[in-house]
Amino acid sequence: MKVGVSNLRLKFAGAPSLLFEDLSLHIEEGEKVLFLGPSGCGKSTLLQVLAGLIPNAVPVPMKADETVICESTGVVFQDPDAQFCMPYVDEEIAFVLENRAVLQEEMKGLIQFYLKKVGLSFQNPHIEISTLSQGMKQRLAIASMIALEPEVIMLDEPTALLDPEGTSEVWSTIKKIEAKQTMIIVEHKIDEIIDFVDRIVLFNSEGAIIADTDPSTMFSFYKHKLKEYGIWYPEVWEEHMKEIASLQGTRRGKEVLSVTNLKGYRGKNPKIEVPSITVCEGEWVAITGENGAGKSSLLLSLMNVMKTSGEKKVSNNVLKTVHDSRNQLAFVFQNPELQFITNSVYEELAYSLKMMNDSNVDEKVTAWLTSYQLEHVKSLHPYQLSTGQKRRLSVGTALFGSQPVLLLDEPTFGQDAQNTFQLLQLFEELRAKGMIIIMVTHDEKIVKHYATRQWVIEEGLLVSDRNLERVVEGNAHAMDS
Amino acid sequence: MQWTLNYEETWLHRLNPAFKLIFFLVLFLLLLFIHNPNMITNVTVVPLLLLLFSTGHQKKVLLILILPFLLLFFSSASSMMFFGQGSTTWWKWGLIHITEESFYRGLHIGFRALNFALLGLLFALTTRPVYLFYSLIQQLKVPPRFAYSFMAAVRILPVMVEEFQQLRAALLIRGVKKKKGIGRITQTVTLYAVPLLSQSIRRAHRIAVAMEAKRFNNKERTYYYKPSFSKFDLIFLLYIAIGFGLAFWMSGAFPYFDITDVRQK
Repeated sequence: MKVGVSNLRLKFAGAPSLLFEDLSLHIEEGEKVLFLGPSGCGKSTLLQVLAGLIPNAVPVPMKADETVICESTGVVFQDPDAQFCMPYVDEEIAFVLENRAVLQEEMKGLIQFYLKKVGLSFQNPHIEISTLSQGMKQRLAIASMIALEPEVIMLDEPTALLDPEGTSEVWSTIKKIEAKQTMIIVEHKIDEIIDFVDRIVLFNSEGAIIADTDPSTMFSFYKHKLKEYGIWYPEVWEEHMKEIASLQGTRRGKEVLSVTNLKGYRGKNPKIEVPSITVCEGEWVAITGENGAGKSSLLLSLMNVMKTSGEKKVSNNVLKTVHDSRNQLAFVFQNPELQFITNSVYEELAYSLKMMNDSNVDEKVTAWLTSYQLEHVKSLHPYQLSTGQKRRLSVGTALFGSQPVLLLDEPTFGQDAQNTFQLLQLFEELRAKGMIIIMVTHDEKIVKHYATRQWVIEEGLLVSDRNLERVVEGNAHAMDS
Repeated sequence: MQWTLNYEETWLHRLNPAFKLIFFLVLFLLLLFIHNPNMITNVTVVPLLLLLFSTGHQKKVLLILILPFLLLFFSSASSMMFFGQGSTTWWKWGLIHITEESFYRGLHIGFRALNFALLGLLFALTTRPVYLFYSLIQQLKVPPRFAYSFMAAVRILPVMVEEFQQLRAALLIRGVKKKKGIGRITQTVTLYAVPLLSQSIRRAHRIAVAMEAKRFNNKERTYYYKPSFSKFDLIFLLYIAIGFGLAFWMSGAFPYFDITDVRQK
C-alpha cells in the first residue's frame, strides 16, 4: 500500500455528524485513482488526509486505526489564484526548490526544466504570474508540484475554475507526466480523463464509499448515480437533451433592445465597441470570445456601470444611468457572493421589492422561493448556501421586477452538471415567456443546444453576429428570421 | 490591469535591501537631531538629487508622487507658523499669530517632514519587496515563515482591489440605498468589509495550505536570491556622508537665516 487509511473517523467543528465514519481506502503504487461524488461529500477532505495536510496543516479532529502517508506527495489545488505565494513565475518554482534545499546555482536550470515539462517555455521566466491566463496558472501549479519530485500526485479539481480550453491544456499536461506515477484525482468534469484512470471510487452524499471499481464497470452499473451527483461524464449532454424532449424553436417577437454606436470606456480607451444591434423578444444570445476580449465589458456598458457613449434603448426607454438600466435589465454577476447584501435568503429576495414599496412582498417572495427551490433554506445566510443555491439566489435577486432582459456573466461556470441543467431550464422557461437572455459563456454545448444567436467578441469588437439553429433531437426547427 | 510601475534598474536598486532599511532608519533618527534650519534646508538637496536622477522611474511618475509630499510640507510648516508661540510678533489676526520664532520653527518642521518623505519615497521606489524579505531573512535572520507570509500577502492585495471594483459595481446594480448620517458609515463598512474579508480569509487559508503542500517548513533551506554587499553600498554611504558634511559646512559658511537653533527662546 502506497497511501491509505483504515477506519477513518473525521468531523468538522460545528458539523452535526461525522463526515467519515469508519472509512477505509488503500491505494497501491502506480495506481491512478479518481474520486467521484456529489459536492460536499468529503472527496477533497479525504485527499487532504491522504496528502498529510489534515491534521498537520489544517487542524481537523480525526482518528484512524492506520494512516499511510507518502512523505513525498505533490498537490495541485482548484483555485488558480490561491496557490502561489510569490509574484513571479521563476520565484514560485524557486520557492519549491528552496524548500527542497536545492543549491542556488542549479535553480535557474531546474526552473526552465520544470516549466518545459508543462509546456510553458519562456525565454526569461521572470514573468508576473498575474499576467498568465487561468489555464497557464494551473500549468504553473503543476510545474511547481512536479518540482517537488513527488512519488504521489494529488489533484484536487484542478480544472473546476477553467474554461474548456484551459481544461484540455491541463489534462494533456498531466497525461504527459511519467506513467508510473501514483495519482489521486478529484474531479467533476471527467470526459477527458476517463481513459486515463484505472480505478474509480464513488462516494455518496454521506461520505461513504458506494463503489470502488474500474471505469467500465462504473459506467455500466452506476451511471444513474453519476447523473444524480451532477458529474460531467461523457454523454451527459446528449442524455440531457433527450430528457427535456424538445426545446421550442426560435420565434422572433417584437424588437426590444436596441443599441447604437455603443462604446464602453475604461479610462480613455474604449474596451468594447458595438456599432448597431437589435434584439427581439424570446432570443437567447450567447456572447463568446477569448478571456479579456471585452465580453463582460459589454454587459457592464449596457448596465451603465462603465462610462459609455452611444445609445441604448429597451422598448423605447433610453438607458442613461445605472438606475434606468436596472429597471430594464436584470444583471447576474459571475461571483454570486459579491451580489448579496443582506443576512438571509428571504431578505435578499425581498430587498428590491421593499425598496420599491411593493405591497405584497411576502406573497411574491414565497412564490420565488418555491420556483428557485430555496424555501427550505430561506432563513440561512446567503454565504451558507451551496454553489448551486447561491447561483439560483443571485438570479432571483436580479429578477426582482418585470425586466424584459436578463444579462448573465458566465452563470454556469464552476457548476456541476445537475445545477447547470437546472439553471438552463430556468432560463429557458423565462425565454419561452418572451424574456431576452444574453449570456457570456465559454461552454460550446450551451451555445449549440440552447442559444438562438451568437455574438463573438474579439479585442473589444463585435466581429460576428449570427442566428443559430437550435439543435433538437429528431426534428430540426426552421427559423423565421 | 497593470499594478506595477515600469522602471529602469539603477545602482540604487542594487543596494543591499536590509542595509538600506537600517541605514534609512538611522538617517530618520539623525534628522531628528538637526535643529539648525540652515542645515536642514541644505540636507534636503541630498535625497532630492537621488530621487530626481537615480531612481530609474519616469519623471511624470515622480512628479505625481512628490505632489502630496509638497502638500505635507506646506501644511505642517504653516500650522506651526500660524499657531506657534514666540516673542517677536510679525503679524497677528484673530487666532493667527505669526512670530519670528514660530516662522522658523514652522519652516524647520516643514523641511524635516519633506526629508522624511523624500527618503521614504526613495526607499519605496528602489526596493522590491521580494528582495527586501530575502535580505531580511539572510542578513537580519528574520524567520522565513514570517517573511514568506508577508510576500504571499503582498500578492493578495491586487486581487482585493479587483474584487473591490466588482463589489462596487454589484452594489450599484443592486441599487443599494445609501443611509444618512452615522448609519451610512456602518452600512458601508458592512457592505464592503464582510464580502471582501470573507473572500480574503478563505484565499489566505488556501494559499497557506498550498504553501504547506509545497513542503514549506522551518527546516534548512536554500535561497534563490542571495543579496550581498557591493561597491554600491559603499558609494551610497559616501554620498550621504559627503552630502551631509557639505550641508553642515554650507550652513555655517553661507547661512540663509539668522537663527541657528530653532529650540532657542
